[in-house]
Amino acid sequence: MNKVYVTAIVKDVPAEEYGRYLSPMKARRMGKLQKRALVTALKAMEISGIGEPDAILNGTAMGCMENTVQMLNGLSAEGEEVNMPTCFMQSTHNTVASQIAIFTGNHGYNTTYAHRTISFELALQDAFLRLRAGLARTALVCANDELTELQVQQPDFFGQLEVQDRSEAWMLSIEPGDHPIYELENVKIIHDKGAEDRAIIQKISL
Amino acid sequence: MRPKVVITGMGVVSALGVGVKANGIALMQGISGIREARYLPTEHREFPVGEVQLSSEELRQMLELPDGRLYSRTHLFGAAALREALSMTNLLEHKGLALISGTTVGGMDVTESLFPNPLPKGQPDVHDCGASTNDIADSCGDFDYTSTVSTACSSAMNALIMGKLLIENGERDIVVAGGSEALSKFHLNGFKSLMILDRERCRPFDKTRSGLNLGEGAAFLVLESEESALKRGAQILGVLSGAGNACDAHHQTASSDNGEGACRAMTQALSNAGLLSANIDYVNAHGTGTPNNDASESAALKRVFGAQLPPVSSTKSYTGHTTSASGSIEAAFCLMALWNGFIPVQPEFENPDEQCIIPVSGSEALSVDLHHVMCNAFGFGGNDSSIILSRYE
Repeated sequence: MNKVYVTAIVKDVPAEEYGRYLSPMKARRMGKLQKRALVTALKAMEISGIGEPDAILNGTAMGCMENTVQMLNGLSAEGEEVNMPTCFMQSTHNTVASQIAIFTGNHGYNTTYAHRTISFELALQDAFLRLRAGLARTALVCANDELTELQVQQPDFFGQLEVQDRSEAWMLSIEPGDHPIYELENVKIIHDKGAEDRAIIQKISL
Repeated sequence: MRPKVVITGMGVVSALGVGVKANGIALMQGISGIREARYLPTEHREFPVGEVQLSSEELRQMLELPDGRLYSRTHLFGAAALREALSMTNLLEHKGLALISGTTVGGMDVTESLFPNPLPKGQPDVHDCGASTNDIADSCGDFDYTSTVSTACSSAMNALIMGKLLIENGERDIVVAGGSEALSKFHLNGFKSLMILDRERCRPFDKTRSGLNLGEGAAFLVLESEESALKRGAQILGVLSGAGNACDAHHQTASSDNGEGACRAMTQALSNAGLLSANIDYVNAHGTGTPNNDASESAALKRVFGAQLPPVSSTKSYTGHTTSASGSIEAAFCLMALWNGFIPVQPEFENPDEQCIIPVSGSEALSVDLHHVMCNAFGFGGNDSSIILSRYE
């Protein structure tokens, strides 16, 4: 069984740095979350020196809410005459992981977990097991969520699930590289009826 | 050696009915469940759909779930499929099961019925994908691990692929995996905006095809290590012998002309199963009926199988495209086909298209002895998955 290392962790790349990774032309067509998610992923690839990970995984509690709410507003205002193709196709939860793959031309394993507060940990577990078993050597594991104006104004509009407005990207590798951050030992998932699901990332700081 | 992942139970809900038996009979007799919308409160009656022929209230009563809360149809279909899957293999009282469900729509049917009003105070969360999975898990059986995969139309198949990984790594002995998805005005109007809905019953791979029909439903398969199944004395229905997932990396919704992602997914599934393309006796294609998908999938099938193409059919002409649930509903169909020795045919197919493979057509299922069956599910973002189900021998 392979050992699994975390070789880069990047959080919320500030807008001033976007230009380093993304031309204004390409950025213009993207929503706020898409841009932040993509540059955060690209920076993790840059720092780790792994530009073509074998797998790209994302965890998102609620998915692409900006587009989802826009589409709901459209349906509510215009009824079923609504015609919002771009908004719809970018409302699906796997928009971000697909976009990273399309942008970097990556044909590897690609998946997205949307399971409340432990979405990222489920993506991390999948990647960890894949690397440990030798099905992949490297994996980019991301966490991405956005808060819409509607959710800021009315935090419980969609229920009690708390969403963090964030983009985070971890690079996993079976090689420690020059600056490993953690060695991952396992990820444990706990579901207990009536309570919020929990996850424990078992890791050793290096 | 990695442990063999066998299948010991399944539950299915679709436009063909509630339960494995009703679905199997319709498939064998060539009876489609696609018709005019009746339960979805849409104005777009011009687009036929594959609806589960029960109202939410009828489903709630059938499942004996308490009144006084909001139920998404995703939750209700999932609960019905889960109950059938667990009871089939005597796991209703088993402690510490894992559930992985694929969905994208989640509780959108409830959200859009309330919008622009919020979820009423005091109601449990309904909207998000994870809430529907946890509601399904908590409706029967005893689960201490739950997870939701959301990769659009390949969600349920990717849930099966993750279940296989958990068992092969020794993390779990039993994983119930699949998906559930209700029709919503949200995605019906979304697909309408993309101009890929057919006004007639869909005709996958036919020259006259002009889009898909949306459907809804759920299916769960009980995945189990062979050792655990034998120890329990459970009946083994088949083997999940291979799995592949690859990204087409071409476009957010369109598939590449040469079917790169699909070709990679099928090739991986074969090598993961330790099989050659010549070993596959039947392919249940993704075959949505859109001009783009069917041409791209055909190109990929030709690349993988060359001149020795096994019989191929799409069962979307029976259920409609059940989006996130399609991967597990069609995997369940493949398992029924393996178990009963039949190949579902496409009743609507008439006109071959030089860009496409020619599917198996006719009025009722072909009687064939099957050993290895491939099942495809492709999603937005070029998320392409393929699995192989084999007879247990």
